[in-house]
Amino acid sequence: MANLKDIRTRIQSVGSTMQITNAMKMVSAAKLKKAQDAIEKMRPYAEKLTELLAGLSANLDKDLGGDYAAQREVKKVLLVPITSNRGLCGALNTNIIKLTSSLIENKYKDKDVELLTIGKKAYDQLSKKYKVVDNKSELFDDLTYENVAKIAQKIMNDFIDKKYDEVILIYNRFKNAATQIVITEQFLPIKTESDEISKVALDFIYEPSQAEIVLELIPKSLRTQFYKAIRDAWASEHGARMTSMHKATDNAKDMKDELTLQYNKARQAVITGEILEIVSGAEALKN
Amino acid sequence: MKLDIVTPEGALFSGEIEAIVVPGVNGTFEMLNNHAPIVAILTEGNVRIKGQNLVVADEVANKFKYEQNEIILPIHSGTVEMKNNQVILLAE
Repeated sequence: MANLKDIRTRIQSVGSTMQITNAMKMVSAAKLKKAQDAIEKMRPYAEKLTELLAGLSANLDKDLGGDYAAQREVKKVLLVPITSNRGLCGALNTNIIKLTSSLIENKYKDKDVELLTIGKKAYDQLSKKYKVVDNKSELFDDLTYENVAKIAQKIMNDFIDKKYDEVILIYNRFKNAATQIVITEQFLPIKTESDEISKVALDFIYEPSQAEIVLELIPKSLRTQFYKAIRDAWASEHGARMTSMHKATDNAKDMKDELTLQYNKARQAVITGEILEIVSGAEALKN
Repeated sequence: MKLDIVTPEGALFSGEIEAIVVPGVNGTFEMLNNHAPIVAILTEGNVRIKGQNLVVADEVANKFKYEQNEIILPIHSGTVEMKNNQVILLAE
């Protein structure tokens, strides 16, 4: 049986690990709340934009989407995997990296694939094997719409300049703190949905023309879509970290309990041994 | 009429106003009560909101500039929709 001092040291070290994981869990919970609030806050904007766009495109019969909807033969593909900058968040980043690799090796095997990584973890892993043209990990340090929009705009310009024929986002969609779903989403070209929307009855004045407004709104909605993806990834990171830190705390607690039991057993054994010695010593004196 | 200003980062303003001046792509124009339904694209410029007792939430107060009976919001671009005396301004 391990000696008492060893067990005591282990109990102490497990205890301090538990404190750390517990603190990290709290921090993530607070950050998760903020991240979720941010998603909530952008919803009215996104919904109104979609509504406007849907209303306008329904009134116009011809296919709209402009240059952003251009379907070209797919030769050059840009993948945008979005991961976190920091680890300790379970399988979150591994899932993204795995999926990205499998897309490159299977679906886009014969294509010219380039990567734009967002998040240090994706960059570290993927830059070893594949062609990473750009890395925007610092985005998470200052996550504002303006910064995200800049990146989105750059990608959109590259698409217009025919640098890429297809742009795919790969990220974790936030469902709840315990569940994140890995999503591959086609960013460009835009998929024009042909679902029937009732024509808007109101007679609007349009300034400038409807077609021009639609052309103006599409890039806006693309930037919003990109922003939403980043926001989702951000919330997922904190959700996943909170869950995994919670599990780590639980595990540490189990371990500590087990060690305490072991410690008490060892202590009891030592005491029993001592009593035995004293008793037998006393017996020996008697005779 | 009622005005709502929304951005991707949250709502900036919501309340009753008397008039709003927006920087349209074809020139600045003003909308008053009972304006006809309109959808317009806005360019970089200042949105001037006129009315009595305009209240701005504290956390976004620094985005506006204040003048007498008027608050001003600089925007990069935006879209405005007005119908049934309800103005929605999507600002960026």
